Amino acid sequence: MSDFTVNWFRELLNEDHLVGVRCKSCGELMLPPRMICKNCGSTDLEEYEFKGTGKVKTSTTIYVPLTRFQEISPHSVGIVEMDEGVSISGLILSEGKEPKIGEKVEAIFFKNEDQTVLAFKPVQV
Amino acid sequence: MSLYDKVSVVGAGMTRFHHKIHADKQGRELFSEAALEAVSSVDNGFSLKDDVDALFLGYFSSDMFEGQAHTAALMADWIGIAPKPAVRVEAACASSGAAMNLGVMAIASGIYDVVIVGGVEKMRNLDTSKVTDTLAMAADTSYEVAMGFTFPGLYAAIANAHFEKYGSTWEQLATISIKNHANGALNPKAQYQETIMETANKLGERKGVKFRNEMEFLNSDLNPVVASPLRVFDCCPISDGAAAVILASNKVAKKFTDTPVHISGIGQASDTIALHDRDELTSLKATRLASKQAYEMAKVEPKDFDVACVHDCFTIAEIVATEDLGFFPRGQGGSAAVEGKTSLDGDIPINPDGGLKAKGHPVGATGAAMVVEMYKQLRGEAGEHQVKGAQVGLAHNVGAAGATVTVQIFRS
Repeated sequence: MSDFTVNWFRELLNEDHLVGVRCKSCGELMLPPRMICKNCGSTDLEEYEFKGTGKVKTSTTIYVPLTRFQEISPHSVGIVEMDEGVSISGLILSEGKEPKIGEKVEAIFFKNEDQTVLAFKPVQV
Repeated sequence: MSLYDKVSVVGAGMTRFHHKIHADKQGRELFSEAALEAVSSVDNGFSLKDDVDALFLGYFSSDMFEGQAHTAALMADWIGIAPKPAVRVEAACASSGAAMNLGVMAIASGIYDVVIVGGVEKMRNLDTSKVTDTLAMAADTSYEVAMGFTFPGLYAAIANAHFEKYGSTWEQLATISIKNHANGALNPKAQYQETIMETANKLGERKGVKFRNEMEFLNSDLNPVVASPLRVFDCCPISDGAAAVILASNKVAKKFTDTPVHISGIGQASDTIALHDRDELTSLKATRLASKQAYEMAKVEPKDFDVACVHDCFTIAEIVATEDLGFFPRGQGGSAAVEGKTSLDGDIPINPDGGLKAKGHPVGATGAAMVVEMYKQLRGEAGEHQVKGAQVGLAHNVGAAGATVTVQIFRS
């Protein structure tokens, strides 16, 4: 059975790597990693590291946060489509400004209470 | 397969949904109250002890809210139907919608003649921040919640995507809230039984402000942002409550009533647990698939419905639901509401009971409470919020951000 677990993703996130998997049968990229290809069902998968750049698909600024995000609230969070074509959720650190849909961002690894949270910040153009 | 000749609703009852009045009660007492009202609604009489074959119970998180698991057996014990089998169904906010479909299938299979489908949630034992944490467990805790998404946050993200794609507006969202509170004002079971203008006047008086209309109030600091663009009055409240429905095979239904409400179609679908894994952020695919199954089974089309209860956990969710169910084209759910098409006297009245927004949303009870409303509407017993002449209705129950969706179609 594959080792592409939630814990594996978290450990690599702690070391500032954004990893998913690539299906060796059909080429599907998956982020976060899975054990079974969501496209073809194959279990023949390999580690795939994402570059970390993408664009905001949608976002929101949260004023009633989860207890463990109270320290940084209000905070923005959104869904980012990576340049490789798959999407993932993350904090969006845009210095108090509402993130814009379509805005280019890059991954940063935000440390919150001993845990690394996937976050994105606008790319300076 | 035709369900119409197989399964009917012969009784239905619910507690009032509320954030305060049930403070001294536990889930078991709320469910008992709902079950007793369902029993007393059966025209020719009904015995819990003798007539029930099984219980299907929706309860999202008794574990977190009440520190109690194994709640199906507990509820069966408390309403006095043990040793009859009881099972709890957990599908987030669609828990009792999913329980309902299982109850229908259990009867359609021929194994049982009479089942109770119930739902309950006792949320107000926890404070708002703990409730926020608990509700977020219905999303992907490892990959959405861990990154800072709350449950309102996910629907806010859907709203912003919908605004961007279709040009829909927050004012359209506010229209949904105003409509559902107006309907709730006519429903004695609703948590909030006043119009937004009445609320605005009351809160304004306390703060020494006078609002000229609903929009001015909804745009004010008295309606703070929860997750942009959603404000407090875009979100359903935190509620305690329970609902219970009695289903019978048509073989035995006439023993209980001459006017059962027939179930003519059901549907259910799943989607990715995480919103970010979906191709579309402005539509719930599981709603489209579940309703397609139910429409085909019942041989109906969207234009055939007289009334519908749709899952408006947030105002944007009602707009998206009325599009996905085929009542309006994509992107036009908001403008249709502004034009009054979904109002109590509109073409297709949506959430005449006030919806989750005003009636309240004790998570696990909501799907069953929608069936309670259909039972009343299609028997012409909904009182002040009756849709005149309603004969064909629909209930649409969504788990979290659409990873579970159930649909049932009813016919008088």
